[in-house]
Amino acid sequence: MVDSAEIDLTRLEQDAKLDSTKNLLEVFKICKTFGTLRANHDVSFTLKAGEVHALLGENGAGKSTLMKILYGIQKADSGSITFMGKVVNIDSPAIARNLGLGMVFQDLRLIPALTVWENVALHTKLGGKILRKNNICELIDQASQRYGLAVDPNAKVGDLSIGEWQRVELIKVLLAGAKVLILDEPTSVLAPQEVDALFDIIRRLKNDGVGIVIITHKLREVRAIADRVSVLRGGKQILCDLPAQDITNDDLVKAMVGEFVNPITNSDRGSGSSSQSTLVALDLTLRAHGEGTGLKGVDFDVKSGEILGIAGIAGNGQRELADLLTGARMADRGDIELKGQRLTVAGPKHYRMAGMLGVVADPIREFVVPGLTVAEHAALWLATSSKKLRFDIGSATKWLHQVADRIGLPLAPSSKRLDQLSGGNIQRVILTLAFADPSQGLVVSYPTRGLDVRTAEMTHGLLIDARKQGTAVVLISEDIDELLSLSDRIAVISHGRISGLLEAKNTDRLEIGRLMTQEAS
Amino acid sequence: MSIFSPLAPKQDPPLDDLVNHEVEKKFSWSNLYRSSNMTFLLILTYIGSFFLFGLVALARGANPFGVFGAMLQSSVLNVGSIEQVILRAVPISLAALAVAVPARAGLVNVGGEGQLIMGAVAATGIGVAIGASVPGPIAWVAMAVAGAIAGAIWAGISGVLRTKMGANEAVTTLLMNFVANDVMLYLIYQPWRDKFSSGQPQSQPLAQSAQLPALFGSQLNLGVVIALVLAVVTWYLIRKSHWGFALRVVGGNQEAARRAGLPINKLLISSMLVGGSLAGLGGMLNLAGLEYQLVPGITASFGYVAFLASWLGRHDPIKVVVASLVFSAIALSGNGIQLGFGLDGSIVDVLLALIVMAPLFLSKTRKAAAK
Amino acid sequence: MNGIEQSLIGGVEGGTAILLPSLGELIGELSGVINLGTEGCMLAGALGAYAVAVTTGSALLGILGGIAAGAFFGLIHSYLSVYRKADQLASGLVVWFLALGLTSVFGTGYVNDSITPLTIISIPGLSKIPWIGPILFKHDILVYLSYALVVALVVILKKTRLGLLLRATGERPEVVGVAGNRPALVQLIAVTLGAGLAGIGGAQLSVGYVGNWFNDMTSGYGFIAVAVVLFASWKPARVMVGAYLFGVVLAASSVLQAHGIAVNQYLLDSLPYLATLIALIAVSKKGGSNAPEALTRALTDTT
Repeated sequence: MVDSAEIDLTRLEQDAKLDSTKNLLEVFKICKTFGTLRANHDVSFTLKAGEVHALLGENGAGKSTLMKILYGIQKADSGSITFMGKVVNIDSPAIARNLGLGMVFQDLRLIPALTVWENVALHTKLGGKILRKNNICELIDQASQRYGLAVDPNAKVGDLSIGEWQRVELIKVLLAGAKVLILDEPTSVLAPQEVDALFDIIRRLKNDGVGIVIITHKLREVRAIADRVSVLRGGKQILCDLPAQDITNDDLVKAMVGEFVNPITNSDRGSGSSSQSTLVALDLTLRAHGEGTGLKGVDFDVKSGEILGIAGIAGNGQRELADLLTGARMADRGDIELKGQRLTVAGPKHYRMAGMLGVVADPIREFVVPGLTVAEHAALWLATSSKKLRFDIGSATKWLHQVADRIGLPLAPSSKRLDQLSGGNIQRVILTLAFADPSQGLVVSYPTRGLDVRTAEMTHGLLIDARKQGTAVVLISEDIDELLSLSDRIAVISHGRISGLLEAKNTDRLEIGRLMTQEAS
Repeated sequence: MSIFSPLAPKQDPPLDDLVNHEVEKKFSWSNLYRSSNMTFLLILTYIGSFFLFGLVALARGANPFGVFGAMLQSSVLNVGSIEQVILRAVPISLAALAVAVPARAGLVNVGGEGQLIMGAVAATGIGVAIGASVPGPIAWVAMAVAGAIAGAIWAGISGVLRTKMGANEAVTTLLMNFVANDVMLYLIYQPWRDKFSSGQPQSQPLAQSAQLPALFGSQLNLGVVIALVLAVVTWYLIRKSHWGFALRVVGGNQEAARRAGLPINKLLISSMLVGGSLAGLGGMLNLAGLEYQLVPGITASFGYVAFLASWLGRHDPIKVVVASLVFSAIALSGNGIQLGFGLDGSIVDVLLALIVMAPLFLSKTRKAAAK
Repeated sequence: MNGIEQSLIGGVEGGTAILLPSLGELIGELSGVINLGTEGCMLAGALGAYAVAVTTGSALLGILGGIAAGAFFGLIHSYLSVYRKADQLASGLVVWFLALGLTSVFGTGYVNDSITPLTIISIPGLSKIPWIGPILFKHDILVYLSYALVVALVVILKKTRLGLLLRATGERPEVVGVAGNRPALVQLIAVTLGAGLAGIGGAQLSVGYVGNWFNDMTSGYGFIAVAVVLFASWKPARVMVGAYLFGVVLAASSVLQAHGIAVNQYLLDSLPYLATLIALIAVSKKGGSNAPEALTRALTDTT
């Protein structure tokens, strides 16, 4: 156990003197199969000290598996890992950490009920058997000053914003003595401005000689920060250790996706929709409780045949908005009108009957029932109006097959248990149900989450179709590019308020980003 | 310069994540081998629990084979004993169904014991009051209704406490058992005490006409038939009805149930009410078919035995009834051990617990597999 | 000595038999595992302590027997629920049943034995304080042990890495695992240790307070102990208050009877359970937010 007195951040400066021409980390021909699936097949890459290496790939390309192998969560079938010149066996996260490998997961691994310093202490073994709070806090302050990671050591983690969580994760990993940092899609939860701050931090770490692997599928980030890139697709290596400046964006996309997919865009954005407002939100207000900011007087209207995009950093009221619009929660104040009718009766059932459908934001929490099959989930979707004693699974199955043929999204067999399927499969079931019948209003949260490129594009096509059929669509997404290409108008939400309402064709990422981070006035 | 390494695949593999590619469960000899292997192992663990039980008996100076012999003798080796096993299985299986129904909705009802007691108490109250003055069938129906209502109320209290107050139903149903027992003891020691009996305090017995008549010249009575019918009805409700499906959804994921528009609290409470009324009926049938009067310890821990039976049968009504029969036999065989070997009859509790534990040692439960 | 003082003395004496298992249960629940088998662990502890006391003639050695017997059943429960992923509530009850059966089989031989119970130790000076002295400082060693345990637990939970590890495991075991610890092992040890404390609680009955052994002698104390932890929102000091509260209720009913106040014995007997129920209901709504996350998940997860 390391005593706190011995911890000294100058250690990192010594590490900076590591020979930056030698490889800090060498991953060689890693293979890993799950059943019949080859998650990793002969994957290799190298990392030097003071370098940022971007690992690119679509969902399911095998990036996460590779990282789990590196961090000792899973074991490779074959291949080798060399760390600072020595071949190492990483059998557990503890070994990885002792070597100096630090991992920042996408779903940040902190304990909300504990304070920042307690989380750091738990992870780092700082301070021995008796917790010396002051020492630990001091170390946290030092690290946060050195790398610009502002955070209050005494704050309860559960009270922090997602950006702060990430900073706590970084501090935690750094204080554990990481020489190699692995960041799993670190920007997916951040606003553009927060991304810039993160990149600043990464540059400072780089100057201190830390080797950084950043897992991403965003080309913009490769351009902004990466020295070299490797690309995976379907578990295989497409590109290995290529200097970032030697490759064009088009070639990177080609390497990631394989074929060039023509992105579906809303070609007649902002035109042709009727002038009549189908869905109107008036002064929607919801107290904040637990996670999220609540809503503070949200007004907007969506016309028939219009897609209104909702942009914002996660946790700024999107969840609450989606819940209110689908009747999953009731507003403390304010009204929702559909086709001029106020929706007064509480409950998702009545909203459904009135014509408001939704695609849930968090399928595992809000949709998937453990033990139930795909067909039974379809029956559940249909069952809200049934009064019969007998439960009829046969007709629900038949209906699902018909709908699936019409919608076209590939579905898992209807007799499979939904909770045992992948996120992509679950999402396709949810989308198929939501698009099964035309509706007056449709609230869609993160529709392409977990989907591969092809079905993501099909989903975008389904949204455009719904728009053509005259549905008022509310599209909630954190992917600004998706919002820009599909929406007629974009409402930016920040701290539970609409901070701006923009014509999609007249705006850009920067303006949206600025509104996303606008402080409440 | 070509950016594509020679590793680049010719054809695109499907872009999807891992779990999608789980191995299809088709029939194959190796699968059959594996599943029969599992059955074999399961049987082995059950044998293991009997073995351990034998060791316990041995430790108390009894010959294990003699003990097993006495157990068989006092449970299944003669018609009279078999009939007794079936009769005891009536309250056990109904109390076990009272565990199984709420379990579908994710509730843990440990209160079978209390619900049995309250069912018997209510049936006694009604039976003693009107039993002598009305025809038998009317008394039976009145007692059954009273028993079912009493059981439903006793379980329903915990259901309401869970939905309205967030109090854990496992703990509240458990505590209610003790309260029920004290209520019963109070009644038979004071207001309902049979003044004509000497010795152990007990309530007045039911009038002859209010007792359930024997069937076909055996010890079996109408209660057995009623219990069987209720088991089938429960099976239908759980497996085939909309209500049963809705309970499964609520038990699986309350948030999903809420978003699907299911009335969660109503479903939770209704599952407790149905469960409680089943147990209450069990208490009434036990009273009117077997005991005929309230005595201390009338339930003989059947409520807890039933809890174990429901878990062994994985809350599937048919399996639960089978498990109840087995447990009834084991519970009854304690008498044989007590008579033959002078050991405390509670020794069979050890065997019951071991049998429920046995499969746990073998494989992870479905819950774990789902994660 | 008046009735109130008598009730308070008895409340501490009998309350200790609830406090010790409650503290044990608290440790287990903080690690994310509820143990309804606490009742069984108490029973086993009561018999284990009594048997050792009869055999060796020393009630103090008996306490060790109580710890071992309680911990044994706790080990079974934690292995089943942590490593075999059995439902915690069901596993706990099965363990209770097992203990109930085993203690009645092995306990029959001890029913008529007699022992010298734990000696009452008066703390010099402190026991002379009027009122407070006899109530708090004139008891057997286990009562003083429970005082020390409450203090120790508060310090360990707040100030040590061990306490942090325990609390973190009860919140998010998977995070603890990624941090390089073994959450399952933490839970196993916590529950086993807690069951050992329940065993001491049983010993407090058999070789302390009651000084006798009979079948099912804990009569629901273990279940009340579990409820006390829920009632106390997982705070050691509040556990102490809760346990003494029920101790006083228990003692008061026998004091009332001793004074010949005509209240039906069985209605009085149900008082502690009713009081527990009411207390539980009163705190359930707000207490839940304080619950360890893993525990909440285990209790709401379905089978």
